[in-house]
Amino acid sequence: MRRRSRAHLVTGRVVLTAALLALAAIWLLPIVWVVVTSLKTTEHIVQLPPEWIPWPATASHYAEVLVSSSRTARIGRAFINSLVIALGTVAVVLLTSAMAAYALARLRFPGRGLVFAMLVGSLMVPSAVVLVPQYVLTQRLGWLSTYQGLIFPEAATSFAFGVFLLRQFFVTMPADLEDAARIDGANVWQVFTRIMLPLSQPVLAALAIFTFRAAWNDFLWPLIAVNKPEMFPLPVALALLRSAYSSESYGPIMAGAALSAVPLLVVFVVANRRIVEGVRISGLKG
Amino acid sequence: MGAARQRRRQTRAAYLLLAPGLTLFVVFRVYPLLEGLRLSFTNARLGRATAAFVGLDNYARLLADTRFHVSLVNTAFYAVASTVPILLLPLLLALALNRGALRTLLRSVFFFPFTLSVVTVGLAWLWLLDPVVGPFNYYLRALGVPTRSWLADPQTAMWAIIATTVWWVTGYYLVVYLAGLQDIPRELYEAAALDGAGGARSFVAITLPLLRPVLLFVVVTHVIGSFQLFGQVFVLTGGGPGDATRTVVQHLFETAFQNFFQFGLASAMAWVLFAVILVFSLVQFRLLRGHTEY
Repeated sequence: MRRRSRAHLVTGRVVLTAALLALAAIWLLPIVWVVVTSLKTTEHIVQLPPEWIPWPATASHYAEVLVSSSRTARIGRAFINSLVIALGTVAVVLLTSAMAAYALARLRFPGRGLVFAMLVGSLMVPSAVVLVPQYVLTQRLGWLSTYQGLIFPEAATSFAFGVFLLRQFFVTMPADLEDAARIDGANVWQVFTRIMLPLSQPVLAALAIFTFRAAWNDFLWPLIAVNKPEMFPLPVALALLRSAYSSESYGPIMAGAALSAVPLLVVFVVANRRIVEGVRISGLKG
Repeated sequence: MGAARQRRRQTRAAYLLLAPGLTLFVVFRVYPLLEGLRLSFTNARLGRATAAFVGLDNYARLLADTRFHVSLVNTAFYAVASTVPILLLPLLLALALNRGALRTLLRSVFFFPFTLSVVTVGLAWLWLLDPVVGPFNYYLRALGVPTRSWLADPQTAMWAIIATTVWWVTGYYLVVYLAGLQDIPRELYEAAALDGAGGARSFVAITLPLLRPVLLFVVVTHVIGSFQLFGQVFVLTGGGPGDATRTVVQHLFETAFQNFFQFGLASAMAWVLFAVILVFSLVQFRLLRGHTEY
């Protein structure tokens, strides 16, 4: 009796794992299809039945969108724009939100509750609501089609979340080390940079990844804040690629789509654990 | 050192630490939010030197703007219809993955689409769902299932957008649920098992109540996101066919940046959208908060 129920359990588990593996394989099919298409020659792309092995394989679609296309913003240039914007945003967000979160977590000062409430409340404000005035402001600053015109609004959007995430982490850290350092004569800034920041590397990494992802993938703001093709970030350049090529071939479009996924794929493979931890911290201890 | 002096120094340090971030925040978030409210009472347009105060005219125009109504209805439909799969599918996956083998690998696979931009996701699905040469319809035909042009059919276009979004975000919510499940103490399940409670019983008695804050987070996050639906529609349907998938943010975008740059009117839309989101979120807080006490 006992043995039978155990066998039952094992069978159940094997079936469940097999079902999950099958679903996971299906889940990846759209991505496989993008990559396979990007490597096919134009005639093979529209073959039916669908061919899942790109043979003969070609890199010509990649070459076309990276360097030689004259019809749209070049994906190569857009790739660099996106890198500059995303890394710039990460730098601004990490610096500003770590400083603010430390003050909110560890220092007593008048207005602390108000500032924190305002930041948390702003998490409920959708970015689409500030779109128009943000455009007017950016235009007045002369920042349309510039890196700073993309970096600072983007960073301001992620700032509140960053403060929230880091503060959650800072308040849970034991105060002993800071107290010891302060007795040794360290001032607030020294405690912050020499003790708090080094001990917070995992959560800072998580915040960096979230911010990078948000900035790398943002679409609506750059769509309106950039009107020079050479300043387009990837999502905008890709959307235009679609209208430039869709009547002839999906090859270049899929090559661009595949390229756009590479940096975050790398980050994700390297820092898988950090992402999960970050979701966990930010999740829901609030 | 005097206590008062130390307090003063701490206050000064705090303000210095807050200054850069708060400046950024006030200039690019708080000011635009309030400025948007002001603009919504004016007839501001791009290039118009002075904007006149027009009272509630913009809001009155929205009451008469049938395309705005359609987009509001579409957006609300999307928000409601997509909540069920987005609440349930990741939850089921999380429950299946929580104890099972290969958790890290499977979690990574499901999470991967979430790292893609909405444009990349949209392009992939545009190609998959291509009515003539796309693989999705080919295999359906092979199975003898009637096919249609999913994105060009008003009956199915919004559902195709929902399916695309489910594929995109399931992995994120899966990770959120898994984190929530991991935080439930194992001893509770062991105690329940000793008392003779089966799997279903302990799911209802332990898992669901303790997961309530996570469910609330998922629903509220998802609804705030849904009301801003734009990218998927922009890439997949352009709001069509007809206005079948036109959303509020798309309508706002076109009003402000393509159709005579009517900033005042678009700002009124933004505030109506904001109000709708607030109402939805508050209702959900009421419904799901209950009393979660540990």
